[in-house]
Amino acid sequence: MQMQAAILTEAHSPFKIETVDIDLPKAGEVLVKMAATGVCHSDWHLVAGKAPFPAPIILGHEGAGIVEAVGVGVSRVKRGDHVTLNWKACCGDCFYCQQDQPAICDTHAADINAGLLADGTSRIRWHGQPIYILGGLGTFAEYAVVRQESVVPIRKDVPLAVAALVGCAVSTGVGAAIYTAEVRPGQSVAVFGAGGVGLNIIQGAALCGADPIIAVDTNSNKMEIARDFGATHCLMSDDTVVAEIQKLSGGRGADHCFESVGIPALQETAIAAVRPGGIVTLVGITPQDAGTTIFGQVITVSERKIRGSAYGSVNPARDFHMLLDLYQAGKLKLEQLVTQRYRLDEINEGYASMLTGDMARGVIVF
Amino acid sequence: MKMKAAVLTEFNSPFQIETVDLQPPKAGEVLVKMAASGVCHSDWHVVEGLSYFPLPIICGHEGAGIVEAVGEGVTSVQPGDHATLSFRANCGDCYYCQRDKPNLCEVYTPVLRSGLMKDGTSRLSLNGEPIHIMTGLGCFAEYVVIPEEACVPVRRDVPLEIAALVGCAVSTGVGAAIYTADVRPGESVAVYGAGGVGLNIIMGAAMCGADPIIAVDTNSTKMEIAREFGATHTLYSDDTTVSQIQALTNGRGADHVFESVGLQVLQETGLDATRPGGTLTLVGLTPVGTGTNLPGAVITRTEKVIRGSFYGSVLPQRDFPMFLDLYSNGKLKLDELVTRRYGLDEINAAYQDMLTGEVARGIIVF
Repeated sequence: MQMQAAILTEAHSPFKIETVDIDLPKAGEVLVKMAATGVCHSDWHLVAGKAPFPAPIILGHEGAGIVEAVGVGVSRVKRGDHVTLNWKACCGDCFYCQQDQPAICDTHAADINAGLLADGTSRIRWHGQPIYILGGLGTFAEYAVVRQESVVPIRKDVPLAVAALVGCAVSTGVGAAIYTAEVRPGQSVAVFGAGGVGLNIIQGAALCGADPIIAVDTNSNKMEIARDFGATHCLMSDDTVVAEIQKLSGGRGADHCFESVGIPALQETAIAAVRPGGIVTLVGITPQDAGTTIFGQVITVSERKIRGSAYGSVNPARDFHMLLDLYQAGKLKLEQLVTQRYRLDEINEGYASMLTGDMARGVIVF
Repeated sequence: MKMKAAVLTEFNSPFQIETVDLQPPKAGEVLVKMAASGVCHSDWHVVEGLSYFPLPIICGHEGAGIVEAVGEGVTSVQPGDHATLSFRANCGDCYYCQRDKPNLCEVYTPVLRSGLMKDGTSRLSLNGEPIHIMTGLGCFAEYVVIPEEACVPVRRDVPLEIAALVGCAVSTGVGAAIYTADVRPGESVAVYGAGGVGLNIIMGAAMCGADPIIAVDTNSTKMEIAREFGATHTLYSDDTTVSQIQALTNGRGADHVFESVGLQVLQETGLDATRPGGTLTLVGLTPVGTGTNLPGAVITRTEKVIRGSFYGSVLPQRDFPMFLDLYSNGKLKLDELVTRRYGLDEINAAYQDMLTGEVARGIIVF
């Protein structure tokens, strides 16, 4: 069948809306009719030439929709199920999955990084030429054919725009606080960056009972929304920020610092702002060739810890449910994350707005 | 000096208000002028002869006041300091203290049971006869002389009756949720008993991001207050309670069950309401000499975990200030716990009210 998709043919060029061909799902695959997909900075890394990719490609890795058809042998979902897509399909059976670290499962990594499905081929063609997909998904399209490990069936009584956000920003942020960093009641938390992921770190820390929760950003428009999500203090990012964080945390520095932006200098600031023995959790993705400097004895002598957090250390099959249950119970603010809605043919405007940094999350709805 | 104190001279008899003699603090001891003292069920166990304390005795173990004088060598407090009293003085240096289990301190456990000071004598006498004190404190009196290690300085901008509650009910309840049971976001929690301790368990579980939080009690007037403290569901305790808890937790039982009352039958029921692999935390004190019958094979096959929680596994010197900071920042409801205030000479009426189960916490104010 045919569908509309946003295609990226090379770095530093706009998305093009094209009519492409999509095949039916093969064995172990699922056809999903997309309902909503988030405008996330990770896609932009490819557009900006900061991460290599096979071209032409359909980006988009934060999505939710409804199962339209399933291939032979699919047991996890059936037609009509609502699903949130998982951009890091995990096998459930490898060394990492058995250690409860599915975010670093490498079973599907080679195919996913190649932009293909498990059999090493693509289901999408444009003028007869195969099109690649990001994260095993490619959600900037009306439909996606994905492996069944990439779908998580969810409750049907939540808006699919909200369910889409659980597929990346919410899991990455809330998960970083509750799983990677294991924030505890009464601990002090500083979060660098109050965007789509940073706000979720803030609400994850609030869910864990942290106090104070200090949001740091360069955009004063984000201060108020950060408070709505649970920040008790907001600081403009400048060269006094470390001293101000120390002042708010008994003179020592925060128990936990999170860097959500992906800027080496900000990661270095976060390391300086954490107390001796405290934990810096790196959530934002820095450009592939960039390095972050860890100064001499800052880690050894003062026992600071640095943790990487991929996908919030969540187990999607377990946690997408839990996060949506918490949303339904009023314990997570997800609707408030959706600042702006776009149609697929407005995707270039969506990214232009994201780059201004004024909004929490733009969502493309189908 | 002379002062008024409520003295218990026989089991199952009323407290008698007497004028007693109090010696000044010796080396390592502190004289505290009491400001507030909580009416707790554990004192009633002493009255009923269901504990190990000798007579005559001054009960009271949940108190706060102002340091009036310090003995030789005392460095951690000075006259004028506001202090919450710890009913588990901890040496900071023994096997258990070095393993973050100050509630099991090897140095003080036998001292506290003896009803005397560390040197084996009492600072109190009535008509020349020594009087014992409950668990190193005895705060149903205008003044106490206590070990320095039981005297935790606290911020001065909180009411002392609030500081008193932190010395037992709050630490025991909130601590049981956040430390002993280590409740995590999105976990399901059921709490048997919604009294002074149970409400604090509920509040601690809410602070940990638990959902749902199911309060179980036999007194319907406590249902509404339980909701104010964070319960999402309230159940009247009867023989359908276990199946109702299962119905609220996808048929499995709760991730965490807490027993806060100290009834064997409730401890047994609590295990049934715990999901396979879940944790039952025993907080309430059953009478000394009684036994609880738990099905060993069920525990083995279903990997249920049973944990004792004493004083909420807190470290008083660390956690009393933390709880009061959280109270000051609006994250813990402590004002709402104080249901009724009494003078010291009304102590017998206060215990009658406690036994009817209508009050969250009665407080004796001086």
